[in-house]
Amino acid sequence: MKLSKELEHRFVEELEKHQNIVHKVCRLYTNNQDAHNDLFQEITIQLWKAYPKFRGDSKFSTWMYRVSLNTAITLYRKGKRAIRTQNMDDVLYKVKAEDYDDTEEQQLKLLYKAVHQLNDIEKALVFLYLEDKSYREISNTMGISEVNARVKMNRVKTKLRTILNP
Amino acid sequence: MDELELLKKDWQKDTAEYPQLSAEEIYPMILKKSSSLVKWIFYISIAELVFWILMNTLPFLSESYKENFDKMEMSDTLFYGLNIFSYAIICVFIYFLYTAYRSISVVDTAKGLMKNILRTRKIVNYYVIYNLVFLAISSIIAFYYTMIHSPEFSQQLTELDSNGEAFGFWMGIIFVLLLTIAIFGLVIWGFYRLIYGILLKRLNRNYKELKKLET
Repeated sequence: MKLSKELEHRFVEELEKHQNIVHKVCRLYTNNQDAHNDLFQEITIQLWKAYPKFRGDSKFSTWMYRVSLNTAITLYRKGKRAIRTQNMDDVLYKVKAEDYDDTEEQQLKLLYKAVHQLNDIEKALVFLYLEDKSYREISNTMGISEVNARVKMNRVKTKLRTILNP
Repeated sequence: MDELELLKKDWQKDTAEYPQLSAEEIYPMILKKSSSLVKWIFYISIAELVFWILMNTLPFLSESYKENFDKMEMSDTLFYGLNIFSYAIICVFIYFLYTAYRSISVVDTAKGLMKNILRTRKIVNYYVIYNLVFLAISSIIAFYYTMIHSPEFSQQLTELDSNGEAFGFWMGIIFVLLLTIAIFGLVIWGFYRLIYGILLKRLNRNYKELKKLET
C-alpha cells in the first residue's frame, strides 16, 4: 500500500514536470479545448497504466513521447466531451505576438493551420521534428527505418509547402 | 525549409502557453477509467465469445430442442466428438486471444502497437468465421438427419422417386438451404463490417500509411 502511494506520488510529480509534452501532442491532434482536455485525460491514464513497467533505462520524457503519441494516434477514441464543441476558432490557439512582426505572426498562424491539415502519421513526424528529435529517435518511436523516416519527413515538408503556397 | 524552422523556433519557446496542471489536479485524473480503443475491442471480443458459446449451448437447455435432437438419432460418437471439438476450439481461441492481448503495449513503436491490435482483431475474426462455417455444416448435418428420420418425408421421397422427380427435389432443397445460410452469413458479415469499420477505420488508415513507406 505504501509502495503504491509512493509510485503514485513519483508519477504525478514527473508528469507535472513534463506535462508540456502531453499538451503539445494534444495541441496537434485536437481542435478545441474540450477535446484537448479529453485527450490529455486519456494520455494520463495510459501513462499511469504503463508507469509500473517504466524502468528508467530511458528518460521519462522519451518514454512519454511514445505513450503520448501512441495514445493520440491509435488508442484514443473521442469522448463525449470532445465531440460536443467543434469551435474551429480555438484550433490555432493563440500565437504569441510579442517578438514578432505582423508578417511573421501571420506566417506562423498559417503554418499551424497547415500542420493541422496533415494526417495522423505526418503530424507525429512533424511533432518529433519540432521537438528536435534525431531521425534515429523518430525511427525508433514510429517503428519505421531511419531512411524511411527521412524520406517521409521530406514528403511532409513538400506537402506543407503545397498547402502554404497552393 | 525556412517556414518549418520558424515554426520550430516558436514551438520550442512557447512552453508557458499551456494552462499548467497542478499535482492536485493530476491525482484525480489517474483514477479515471480509460476509454481506449483496446478496451472497446476487448469488451466486444468478450461479448462475441460469450455469444457464440451461448449459441452452442443454450438450445440444449430447451426440452423441445432436446427431443428434436434425439429424433435425429445422431450417433453418440459423432455427437460427443463434435462437442469436444467445439469446446477445444473455444479454449484454443481464448488462449490465442489472451496472448495477443498481452502483446499490446502502449510503449511499443507506433507501428508495432497497431500491428498487435490488428492481429488481436484477426484472431477474433477467425473465431467468428469458424463459427459461421461450423454453424453451416452442423445445420446441413442436422437437416439431413432430421429428413432421413422423418416417416412422412421418407414416404414422400418414395413417391417422388417413383415419379422420377427425386433429383429435382433434392436440388431444390439444397438450393433453399444454401440460400438461407448465405443470407444468414451475409447479415452477420455486414454487422461485423459495420462495428469494426467504425472502430478500426482510423487504425487501418494509419497502419496503411506506415506500411506504404516500406514498399
